[in-house]
Amino acid sequence: MGDVVQIRFDKIPSFLGLPISDLEDLVPNQVAIAGYFCDNLDQTFAGQRYLARQLRYKSRSKIVPINATDLGDLNVFPLEPEKHFSAVISQCEEVLKLGTYLVLVGGDSSGLKALGAAVENVVNLDVPIVSISNNNKLNLSKTQKIILSVDLKELAGKWVSKPRRLNGLSPSQIITQIKNIPNKIIAVAIFGLAPELDGRGSTETQVALNILEAVVKRLDKGAH
Amino acid sequence: MNNTHKRSMVSGYGGLPFGVISECKVGNIGVLGVPSEVDKGSRIGASLAPDALRKMTQQLDTKLPANGRDLGNLDVSGDWTSSLMELISHLVNVDVIPIVIGGTSDVANVILQTLPNLPVVACMPLARHDLVERTENTVWLGLNGEQPIEVWDQINTRNMVWSTARQLDEQQAITIKAPKSAILWIDMSVIDLGHAAGTIGLNPGGIKPETLVSVVGAMDCNWKSIVITGLAPTLDTRGLSELAAIEAINQALSNG
Repeated sequence: MGDVVQIRFDKIPSFLGLPISDLEDLVPNQVAIAGYFCDNLDQTFAGQRYLARQLRYKSRSKIVPINATDLGDLNVFPLEPEKHFSAVISQCEEVLKLGTYLVLVGGDSSGLKALGAAVENVVNLDVPIVSISNNNKLNLSKTQKIILSVDLKELAGKWVSKPRRLNGLSPSQIITQIKNIPNKIIAVAIFGLAPELDGRGSTETQVALNILEAVVKRLDKGAH
Repeated sequence: MNNTHKRSMVSGYGGLPFGVISECKVGNIGVLGVPSEVDKGSRIGASLAPDALRKMTQQLDTKLPANGRDLGNLDVSGDWTSSLMELISHLVNVDVIPIVIGGTSDVANVILQTLPNLPVVACMPLARHDLVERTENTVWLGLNGEQPIEVWDQINTRNMVWSTARQLDEQQAITIKAPKSAILWIDMSVIDLGHAAGTIGLNPGGIKPETLVSVVGAMDCNWKSIVITGLAPTLDTRGLSELAAIEAINQALSNG
């Protein structure tokens, strides 16, 4: 038994301590955060699916940001890829159709792919995916709508419990990049981290939580 | 070679197939584990390093910038130093670059004895007497703490290139005057224990793992052999020490 199971919750844990909503509760320009529990379909390594859960556990004392909600987890079918992508794309579309900003949290990069397909279907425009990275040079007009990809594998090794690389970005560099993106972000995927489920994962989970908070604040603010 | 060990793993270091020297071609690398262990003190576990690095390169799907074979682990139960000398001589004679993963510093001692005429680039906190007495000058990287006076005199008298850990960490652009060809010896204790504690020697004020990788990558040198010693993987549960060793070897192979 790790530390996690011993935590006693006063209420159901949610991202950033936000209220929990369903599809019919969403309103335009609201930020909806959904967990993505799948890590076996693209750039796979086991454990990435637990990020959403760990972030909710870690969130229990956070201050609630305005105009954002926890939408729960998307329904996934990791052992049936075709059914899975069809279902995930369709669920993302339902959210985006309401004019809500969607943030997918956790899992592997297959979530980003599904999100990209959903945006293409709903917005019906060429919406590029912009990644947070070491060499982030945007050549886009400020009016261009974008999907933001926050791959937490870009974090430098010292920030995570199971490092896969030494060099990389610090949390503050990632947050600064998120804050400084001039475009209108309509959807975000935060993925690529397999957090340790006990106390050893507390730093990386906190880092991911801070990044999620920066994303939500940035979306809440709209385009610069 | 320990064949039982070879069979227990699917592939070797960095995805290289397990094999024998005769399967290596000119210019290839031959990765050899020499799992010698510390005989005193409480910081033990160097013998686990070769297999830990193989496992980690598999987990990370590390791609090596060179082809070759993983030659498995040397059996260190008998007179392994003679066997190691023979192996290294043979590898060098057929133009295969030995990548030797210790083990303790006695593994590097054997390599240095086998290749006495080559200069050494030594990444380690404390300068060593045997290294200053070699015919070719040694390049010292990551020195930290009090150095033995007679060794330090020799380093200065012979105008050897040296850098302290602090100098390396504080440099914006690292340039080290490296010899054209040399042996690269990385004693993992060169790394600061606060950054990566998986080493048999404790080194507060050592270099950062990222610095080690940058320094090795910045040297344009034809490496005749690469030796890693002093890595104790079980003392670093996050695996940063192993990652530093793997990335340093990759950087060296990219340039060398």
